[in-house]
Amino acid sequence: MIRKTFSLLLLPALVFAVSLDGWMDVQTGGDSLSPEPGRLELGGMLRSENWTLILEEQYSHEDSSGIVPRILNTYSQTDIDLIVHVGPVTINPDLCWTVDLGDKPELVLPVQAGVAYREGFIRPGLSLEANLFEVGHLFVKGLYWNRDLRQDDDSDLAWTETRISAGQSYEVSGFTISMSGLYHKTNSDFIDYESAWGRLDIALSTVPQSLPANMFINGDVTYSFYDGSDFNDHDIADRLTSRVRLVQMIIPSVSVNTTFESVIDFDDGVTRSACTSAESRILYHFMRSREVPSVITLSGKLSTSSIRTERAVLFSRINFYRGLSILLNAEARCTPTMVAGASATRKRIIFGPGLEYQLGTTLRVWGIIEQERTDLEEVEVWWRVRTGLEFYPGSLSL
Amino acid sequence: MTQYAKFFVILAAVLILLSACKGPVESTQLIVDTDACTGCGECVEVFPYGSIEVIDGDAVIDPSLCHFCYRCVEQCPEGAIY
Repeated sequence: MIRKTFSLLLLPALVFAVSLDGWMDVQTGGDSLSPEPGRLELGGMLRSENWTLILEEQYSHEDSSGIVPRILNTYSQTDIDLIVHVGPVTINPDLCWTVDLGDKPELVLPVQAGVAYREGFIRPGLSLEANLFEVGHLFVKGLYWNRDLRQDDDSDLAWTETRISAGQSYEVSGFTISMSGLYHKTNSDFIDYESAWGRLDIALSTVPQSLPANMFINGDVTYSFYDGSDFNDHDIADRLTSRVRLVQMIIPSVSVNTTFESVIDFDDGVTRSACTSAESRILYHFMRSREVPSVITLSGKLSTSSIRTERAVLFSRINFYRGLSILLNAEARCTPTMVAGASATRKRIIFGPGLEYQLGTTLRVWGIIEQERTDLEEVEVWWRVRTGLEFYPGSLSL
Repeated sequence: MTQYAKFFVILAAVLILLSACKGPVESTQLIVDTDACTGCGECVEVFPYGSIEVIDGDAVIDPSLCHFCYRCVEQCPEGAIY
């Protein structure tokens, strides 16, 4: 009987063709501040008509001597995802776990309970999604973390987190109306810590259809009701977020993408601007008929909240022979810094050329040499090499 | 020019709404630009309070644990946290 039931369950998978995909992404580099950083990602995907199984493995290794000290230096992360489509319903169980391989990464505990050492976590999750009559969408998602946190004497903190979210959205006359809720609870019996917060979002977004040719506008407004406290035991303020994006193709090879964002907090009867940001990006595509199209991107972003960030980037990829391209990256940034003795704002300029080879969608190999000038206690200048390899051998039918 | 006029009308409306708000510019939560976030996890690797997690390819900040140390802002290679 069991064998018969099992066969019936397997039957749909055998009827439809199954394909296998695999991919690899390796990045490494080195400089005088953080030698031998490296990241390896391996992935595989089995896919049929109504189900997909994804396995991803990531190994990350970094030295801890960067400007911003690293807490996690060396770790591996495994993620297994199963996505099953049953009619209009999508079921997605997920299991992710991390093993910290470095030297006792520290976690600063809340309620002044000192520090603990991370050894990894395991995170099972389940999400359900359903499409309703082509205009509605429902989702429910649950995640549970069991973190392996230990104190000096090897006592386990029994640290767990639960995150449940659910929501629905409907499309009506060019507008999408959505309402969703989120509940997050953190618990550690060992240090007698329990914290929970929740959020209810009501959102309205629109993509006007009657626009001039080559123009796209997207606008959305979200009001978030918060229930819970921050680390100072102060109520988390309710928040109104509005965002407008304009994409305009000026001529076929040049497009401009501009985003404006405003965030307003409602905190105990006080209304205040929490953040304003604007970003603009100009893309110029040329030599499109070659194996790898060439592109020049110029972008700038400014944000003002309790901190101010500024960023300007010039990136270009110019193809000169088959899959070979010259890269040029230039970036200027201002951010706050945690470096003691430095001014409140860290200004940095990163500039460097590189070389890239692409073989269709199968292989991409790149290397870039860049110089960084950072304004800390004094202006520091150093060189850095970054390299990467992305490999996707294609899909194999089984 | 019509398309630009529409955009600037929307922009002006947002600015008027902003100017109506009083009080200092002060954030009670950091923002993650999910369009810019690549889910690389650099923010998770430098954050000492365990309040950032990459979920479904985006960095997600737990507002109850964030201490505003700004390490994630400084480290994010995409400038996606502010």
